[in-house]
Amino acid sequence: MKKYLKVLYIALIVLFLYLPIGTLMVLSFNESKSMTSWQGFSFRWYREMFSNEELMEALGNTFTIALWASMIATVIGVMACIAMNAMTDRKRNIFMGLNNIPLLNADIVTGISLMISFLLFGISLNYGTVLFAHVTFCIPYVILSVMPKFKQLENHTYEAALDLGASPAYAFFKVVLPDLMPGITSGFLLSFTMSVDDFVITHFTRGAGINTLSTLIYSQLKIGVRPTLFALSTVIFLLVLVILLISNYVKSEDKDRTPKKAKKADEVTEDDYIYRSGMTLGKKILVGIVCVVIIAAAVKFTPSTPGEVGENGVVYVYNFGDYIDPELTEQFFEETGYTVVCDYFDTNEEMYPVIKNNTADYDVICASDYMIDKMIREDLLMEIEFGQIPNMQYLSQNIRDFMEEFDPGMFYSAPHTWGTYGIIYNTELVDEEDFEGDVSWSILWDEKYAGKIIMPNSIREADMVAAKLLGYSMNTLDEEEMDAITQKLIEQKPLVYSYANDNARDLMIGDNASMAVITSGDVLYAQEDNENLAYVIPVEGTEVWTDCWAVPKSCKNYDGAMAWINFMYSYDAAVANFEYLTYAIPNTQLDDYVYEDYIEGETVLSEIGIINPSEEILARCETLKNLGPEGDDMYSRYWKIFKSK
Amino acid sequence: MAKDTTLIQMKDISKSYDGEIVLDEFDLNIRENEFITLLGPSGCGKTTTLRILGGFTKPDTGKVIFEGTDITDMPANKRPLNTVFQKYSLFPHMNVAENIAFGLRISGKSAAYINDKIKYALKLVNLAGYENRAVTSLSGGQQQRIAIARAIVNEPRVLLLDEPLGALDLKLRQEMQYELIRLKNELGITFVYVTHDQEEALTMSDTVVVMNKGYIQQMGTPEQIYNEPENAFVADFIGDSNIFDGIMIEDRVVEICGHKFPCVDEGFGRNKPVDVVIRPEDIIIGKPGQGMIDGVVTSNVFIGVHYEMCVEAGGSEWLCQNTRSFPVGTEVSLNVEPENIQIMNKPQSEDEEAISLEEVLGEEQQEE
Repeated sequence: MKKYLKVLYIALIVLFLYLPIGTLMVLSFNESKSMTSWQGFSFRWYREMFSNEELMEALGNTFTIALWASMIATVIGVMACIAMNAMTDRKRNIFMGLNNIPLLNADIVTGISLMISFLLFGISLNYGTVLFAHVTFCIPYVILSVMPKFKQLENHTYEAALDLGASPAYAFFKVVLPDLMPGITSGFLLSFTMSVDDFVITHFTRGAGINTLSTLIYSQLKIGVRPTLFALSTVIFLLVLVILLISNYVKSEDKDRTPKKAKKADEVTEDDYIYRSGMTLGKKILVGIVCVVIIAAAVKFTPSTPGEVGENGVVYVYNFGDYIDPELTEQFFEETGYTVVCDYFDTNEEMYPVIKNNTADYDVICASDYMIDKMIREDLLMEIEFGQIPNMQYLSQNIRDFMEEFDPGMFYSAPHTWGTYGIIYNTELVDEEDFEGDVSWSILWDEKYAGKIIMPNSIREADMVAAKLLGYSMNTLDEEEMDAITQKLIEQKPLVYSYANDNARDLMIGDNASMAVITSGDVLYAQEDNENLAYVIPVEGTEVWTDCWAVPKSCKNYDGAMAWINFMYSYDAAVANFEYLTYAIPNTQLDDYVYEDYIEGETVLSEIGIINPSEEILARCETLKNLGPEGDDMYSRYWKIFKSK
Repeated sequence: MAKDTTLIQMKDISKSYDGEIVLDEFDLNIRENEFITLLGPSGCGKTTTLRILGGFTKPDTGKVIFEGTDITDMPANKRPLNTVFQKYSLFPHMNVAENIAFGLRISGKSAAYINDKIKYALKLVNLAGYENRAVTSLSGGQQQRIAIARAIVNEPRVLLLDEPLGALDLKLRQEMQYELIRLKNELGITFVYVTHDQEEALTMSDTVVVMNKGYIQQMGTPEQIYNEPENAFVADFIGDSNIFDGIMIEDRVVEICGHKFPCVDEGFGRNKPVDVVIRPEDIIIGKPGQGMIDGVVTSNVFIGVHYEMCVEAGGSEWLCQNTRSFPVGTEVSLNVEPENIQIMNKPQSEDEEAISLEEVLGEEQQEE
């Protein structure tokens, strides 16, 4: 029985440690994008991973930065240790204290202070600043792991080497350094992992176009994590495992080396006298791998901004993560001669301070409707010369009306994608008659579907649903209306399965709920994995959202920015973006595009109601408005009341 | 044995650390082929002297002259001397052969020569066949012998040894003492040996230099140092001694504890206060009334070869050693042969002041 418990306990620990990574590895081979349904084994995401240049570049940045940072930090750290070792105890303690403070400092403080210092001294944020920041926070780790080794140093080995005729340098490298090596190695590895792991400091110190894995993944949260990242994580995990195994093998080889050879005096042969230098096989392999990585890193990724700069210069694009087909940047370069450097953010709120404070110079940005409105009011945008954008003629007419609400007269923005909010439902899990003809938002309050409904977990979208049902504007500033909206949402609470944003889509694919409030862009994506899903826009109307290209005042390459927007409206780019995102692209050239629908088969795009709602429905739609600080406060206040009930 | 040619001369060497004087105008001549031992309590400056010789410490003033050449400013790695350190200081990441080959590789010797030398040196220290052992797998005595082998393969003119046996247990230490004497005779090089162990110094050396507080107290053969200590410090430091305040009544008569003892010393003058040294093994214990002075045994400890007893006589404690045991409380008489009474002048200056036994012990304990 006791033995049983022991095994069970160990099994639990192993499960606890490795189940998450195991789950991720299994999902990386899932044909489907969904995290909840298994649709067959596939290498699809691995292929996509290797063909995704952005991901590969982020990967390259991550590892080159980690490698350079930990190498530089190791050299500096070891030298610092040598100096500190020669100090008196009191001085050394002071310096150790100074060394420990950055370790205890919150990353966010380090990150922000570094960013402010860079900007203050007029250093523009780029690859170098990230590297510098990483070196900065790695040094204390090196010192921390090397310093104790100095204390353990065999007495007087350095002097013994000098005594035997070694020069100080020779004595250091041959005698002292090997003794310090375990500490140096662990300092290096610690730095390396800290650097690879770091998000916060990188986030604040990176410049335009520099992404590491952590910042890239973070910026992709807007449209959901793609399974390519699972594939990538799996590859990295396996790589680390292999390196670990090899280094263990090397260690055990080292141990074997000596005792085996020790013989009694009378068995001694000539060979035994030849002291061996040279390396064991395992060490050779390890050194080989390290060399390959360093060379690959040095050749391919050194200061990562693209090597070839187009004849017309560089266009810096600041966009939501994963919000265009990544292949388009290459195509744009070939067609126009502009090199594109893309940089990503997750939310409008993250992008806004960057533009407002001018921490990095971008030529084109992508922003949502209400944010465009806000930025126009704050005079952060330049007018677009539509004369330079002939393709603008293809902008769909229906979207122009909505643009009046946030960019009257259309001076500052050019829509990239648009969509509506509606109800996605599983035809197998609902009564068909409920969804015949006009559907009302009230279906989400139907007791019949208790525990099967998913609502948005964000203030404005959840309020919008109730507001529309009650016949109010979704931008209402009326306290009474807000109260009614909140009461309505509270009333619905017992029926709701989950309040979810990104994973609403995945929950629906996995048949976890009957219906969910979702944006139209996610519907085609979801249908790919679950053909029982359908989408409807309720008769009361809904929110129409638009994400637009705009040109910030910091723009340095205006012509390039115009060319970029023009390119986005070309047929090829529109198709590529549509296929990649399955979001509606407001481009009339796509009206006749034949889309391979997962349910209906081949359909002409203009006939897919999901992304092209009728005029009648659109007439009852609104866009999200910027409510100003007081409005925001009111909405938060009521949201708290709702949340607390 | 020791030829009379000076190999190394230390002239007027002074050294202080943080204002504390360690060596003060120190002079020392080391002759070729000599086994010279610097002996003294910790803090006496003996290790500093060795480090100055090895080139690890620079003297504040003074010169080190090696065969007529001033080597005071020569860095350690250029000096024709090699050192065996207190805690061996072997290179832990190298095996035995690599450790021994270290100096030879630097001087660019051929592999064949190096291999011959390793073999020769290991044989010399009785560790043949240990070439490929990891140094960390060896015992303390073995490591020490490897450290010696590593030093001697470079054929230094002088071997400096800094308490090399300090970390070994008693039996091993005695064994190594004979090894060192043998080695010295086989190699025919000069040994400068530092220790605080007087037995070690007396066993091995041609010349013993007793040091205290940065000064040489006495320099001579082991016999001279033991039998004719020049002052109370030396007497106290070398072996166990009874040191009494005495008065030289006249030539050949000294008064100790109120009793007149015949002795062999002359020329101290009349009624002069002196220090009197009597070795415990030289005190003859007899029946009451048969000796010079009567007393009572106050303690008795068996320490192996003999009994060590304290006898209260004439108001002083007399430390005696005898193979016969006298139980505590026995009334006895004490007698000393005149030639076994060593008369010394009282210290003239403060620097020469003998430090008390307690102080010596105290410092030793501090060191540990």
